[in-house]
Amino acid sequence: MTTPTVTYTCPYCRIPSDGSSATCPHCGAPVDVRERVSDSGWIEQPAIRDMARIRFNRSTCQISGTYVPVAEFNLHPEDWIYFSHHVLLHTDANIPLEAKKMPGGWNRHLAGIPLIMMTARGPGHLALSADHPGDTLAVPLMPNQAIDVAEHRFLAATGNVNYQYLKMHLWFVTGDPNDRNDQETHYPAGRFLDKFSAQNQPGLLLLHAPGNVFIRDLQPGQHILVQPSSFLWKDPSVRMNLHFEYPRGQYWFTSRKYQAKSVWMTLTGPGRVAVQSVFERPETVGQVINDCGATRHHW
Amino acid sequence: MDRIECQWCKAQNEPERTSCSTCGAPLDKQNLVSDSGWAEAPRLRDMTEFRFSNSTCQIEGEIVPVAELALANGDSVFFEHHVMLWKEPNVPMSALNTGGGMKRMLGGMPHVLSVAHGPGRIAFSRDANGEVVVLPLHPSMELDVREHAFLAGTHSLNYSFVRIKGLANVMHGGGGMYMDRFVTQNEPGLLLLHGYGNVFQKTLQPGEKILVEPGGFLYKDSSVQMNTVKQSIRTGLMSHGMYLAEMVGPGRVGIQSMYVHHHSSE
Repeated sequence: MTTPTVTYTCPYCRIPSDGSSATCPHCGAPVDVRERVSDSGWIEQPAIRDMARIRFNRSTCQISGTYVPVAEFNLHPEDWIYFSHHVLLHTDANIPLEAKKMPGGWNRHLAGIPLIMMTARGPGHLALSADHPGDTLAVPLMPNQAIDVAEHRFLAATGNVNYQYLKMHLWFVTGDPNDRNDQETHYPAGRFLDKFSAQNQPGLLLLHAPGNVFIRDLQPGQHILVQPSSFLWKDPSVRMNLHFEYPRGQYWFTSRKYQAKSVWMTLTGPGRVAVQSVFERPETVGQVINDCGATRHHW
Repeated sequence: MDRIECQWCKAQNEPERTSCSTCGAPLDKQNLVSDSGWAEAPRLRDMTEFRFSNSTCQIEGEIVPVAELALANGDSVFFEHHVMLWKEPNVPMSALNTGGGMKRMLGGMPHVLSVAHGPGRIAFSRDANGEVVVLPLHPSMELDVREHAFLAGTHSLNYSFVRIKGLANVMHGGGGMYMDRFVTQNEPGLLLLHGYGNVFQKTLQPGEKILVEPGGFLYKDSSVQMNTVKQSIRTGLMSHGMYLAEMVGPGRVGIQSMYVHHHSSE
């Protein structure tokens, strides 16, 4: 038996392989293209090539299409995946589809997160698609590796990937400080954060991000400000906080209903972060009367 | 010298051509087929031109493509009026009464289709990301298309609409109440569809079944049966219903990857 020679480490999934194929066997990223890095250090995540295959356990996942890619699984009899039921595009008639037990149904309902997570077991073919133009990302997870993902970005995961959802502690309240009925709580990055971790063996996580995806590695203590709704995923070592930025000369039209400010998410290294180029238009909101411990800067 | 057969529409082309003269599919690229047999609709190159009858069609743009038709004298196309992007002022227009006014109103479909007659130029686009799917139809072919998905059809096609059978199909099928049906007469016709996202096609053998998200259904040969099947899913004491479209061969089935999602009952 020969051991494959490791000559290539994929810059996107950070997993070594022999580099002999045109695409990384673990995440599907092209091997034969030059890394595209912006002047400020953001690395553009290349789209997975049409019909590229990603191997996991004894199964494969083939990505087809480029505008709204489809992830088509060829499941081995001993493999299974789970996914949110609304992303199912087509399936062989003989694949058993079952519900995966999800705790915290009421919290998920409040947050607009799907209540039903479905499982599909091999053998057979099954395809998933999120109905937004954008990039489908394959994130292979090594044993005991975890990543934090923005809610609603999850497409599918292999059965051995553990899924938890945690409260996203990024919030602020606007309105009348003396009238609880005239107050609104805002969650600019969503109410929950999905955490995925591989157990004893490698797992595969598929995400779908509207638009294009950019990644960067933050050094210890290095900060970057991003639009909260553009956040896609991060290493657990990266810390998040809310930051308000007030432009100079804005006070003459500031009111309780309207206040000129930018709402940012601060990401602090060390670790890798990913953002997507499609994000929600920031809300024009009034004076903040309570928050999660956000930082502020007045220009 | 050997002629080149288009892998998408099977038309024969001169060896020097790089795109099919009948459907515009690139001839110098391998057809992309997934492991389970779904063929990707050919990505038409920007400014690809192909012919129908005595007219030409050119596809422009790639994100929200435009189909620009140069209609010859005697040729005409029909379409839903809101997909018209621009036209030359001298292109005559007429109306095609579809019949079934009340039914169409209930189904949210236009009562009258517009017809543009040659000579002159006219262009069509649906305002969403996706692909133009070019389907040349040979005589005696019948094709059923999801409502609001067709961009234009040539004058040689007969247009009608068929009710989706079964209350469960209408209520939970995600495809609305009606499907557009296009039937060729004695001469070939050309049908242009707009698929949201990417479009894939699979040819089912007689009796072969596949389950498809109903909102992803785009078109099928009329020989393919479409039934809505309920998947019962239990989570603890709760029962959830999820509906999928069961397609039974023989014939072609086309799906789109960006779809109108139906709601499951909870």
